[in-house]
Amino acid sequence: MPHKPPTQEELEKRKIVGVNFETVTDVSSTDFPGHYPGEDHAWDIERFKKGFSVEFHQNDPYEASFSLIGCDASIANAFRRIMIADVPTLAIENVFIWNNTSVIQDEVLAHRLGLIPFTGGREGLHEFLKWFEKPAEGEQPNCTDYNTVELSLDIKCEDNDDADSKETDPTKLYHHAHVYAKDIVFKPIGRQEQYFSGENIIRPVNPDILIAKLRPGQQISLTMHMHKGVGSDHAKFSPVATASYRIMPTITITQPILGRDAEKFQKCFPKGVIGLEKVTAKEAAQKGSGYRGHEGELKAVVVDPKRDTVSREVLRHEEFKDKVKLGRRRDHFIYLVESTGQWESDAIFLESVSHLKAKAKSLEQQLVNMVR
Amino acid sequence: MSGQDYEAPSGAFSQRDDATAGSGAMIYRCGDCAVRVPLEKGAPIRCQKCGARVLYKERTKRMVQFEAR
Repeated sequence: MPHKPPTQEELEKRKIVGVNFETVTDVSSTDFPGHYPGEDHAWDIERFKKGFSVEFHQNDPYEASFSLIGCDASIANAFRRIMIADVPTLAIENVFIWNNTSVIQDEVLAHRLGLIPFTGGREGLHEFLKWFEKPAEGEQPNCTDYNTVELSLDIKCEDNDDADSKETDPTKLYHHAHVYAKDIVFKPIGRQEQYFSGENIIRPVNPDILIAKLRPGQQISLTMHMHKGVGSDHAKFSPVATASYRIMPTITITQPILGRDAEKFQKCFPKGVIGLEKVTAKEAAQKGSGYRGHEGELKAVVVDPKRDTVSREVLRHEEFKDKVKLGRRRDHFIYLVESTGQWESDAIFLESVSHLKAKAKSLEQQLVNMVR
Repeated sequence: MSGQDYEAPSGAFSQRDDATAGSGAMIYRCGDCAVRVPLEKGAPIRCQKCGARVLYKERTKRMVQFEAR
């Protein structure tokens, strides 16, 4: 029997993961060579280009949401992992404590300082600053202006003589009762002056992060060294707060849902997923559409499946069980990237793409070396 | 690359050391009234101001290095 090429409908159906009441079907992708007899599914750059697209839903400095459509889960997941663990940022790495008489212990204070996200001039951070090489045991570190950024925190809590005698608020009773991230001072060295001055100064992303609380007589005096690092080494170097993706939900209404049922159906989904529309005269006139004699009544329509959480609530109701089909599009990834502030959120994704490219290039070189 | 080198903070005693060097007296803190109590070697352990017998040693004046991890 000669092989029949798949119809467009069949091709679309292959991309859907079925979501049933208790089970999930067709989890793995099938678009690889040899799965469908007589069909060519060898990977081809031209075919990939034709089927691939990127769509931005939101693009703010600290939050970006976008869809990658038409790529495999392995690629989508690689981008996510690279964004979390491989895009470098600058963070506090060494803390030199001269004095700390506060109640917070030195090592805890150092740890807290390390987790504060910093920002500064993009050119200086991404182009000028280079990796710091950790010195071998017993050797002097090679700290220079292009691999180390120095910060200092010098603060002392004292009584506020102008405070009201009945005052009970420590922040009014004392000077510097709270130590905030804005109290950290950047000390430019060498050429750092030209990259990190004015609005490009190295500063905490959020100036109001509470570092410690002091009482009169207590003091914190320390200097810090910042280095570049990656998230796989320590989470403080990760440029993202979250970088995750969901796969696109699909909702297919197979039989008409009308009137009160439609309103109940709408409530089974998050807001904005299901809309209510009036049955038109044309639909009502159509034979076998199920709308006959229902002109003007409200019917449920799918407006925005992207907003669905796939809670499957709708499948718990006897009256809807057979009227709707839930699923997910296996090749449609909805990313949400939340930047900690050192990178623009969309730049983190672009950086992850170039990282993956560099990784592939180095793997190719190693393959060449292996064959030789 | 020609970068201006840092003076990495050294672990030795620093110029911030404001202990009463030379006189031989150690500074303690009174556990009751928190006053500075200089004590000579062999002197009775007692606060000169309030008479409390609990004295605390001051924190080291050495620089302590930590990894921010």
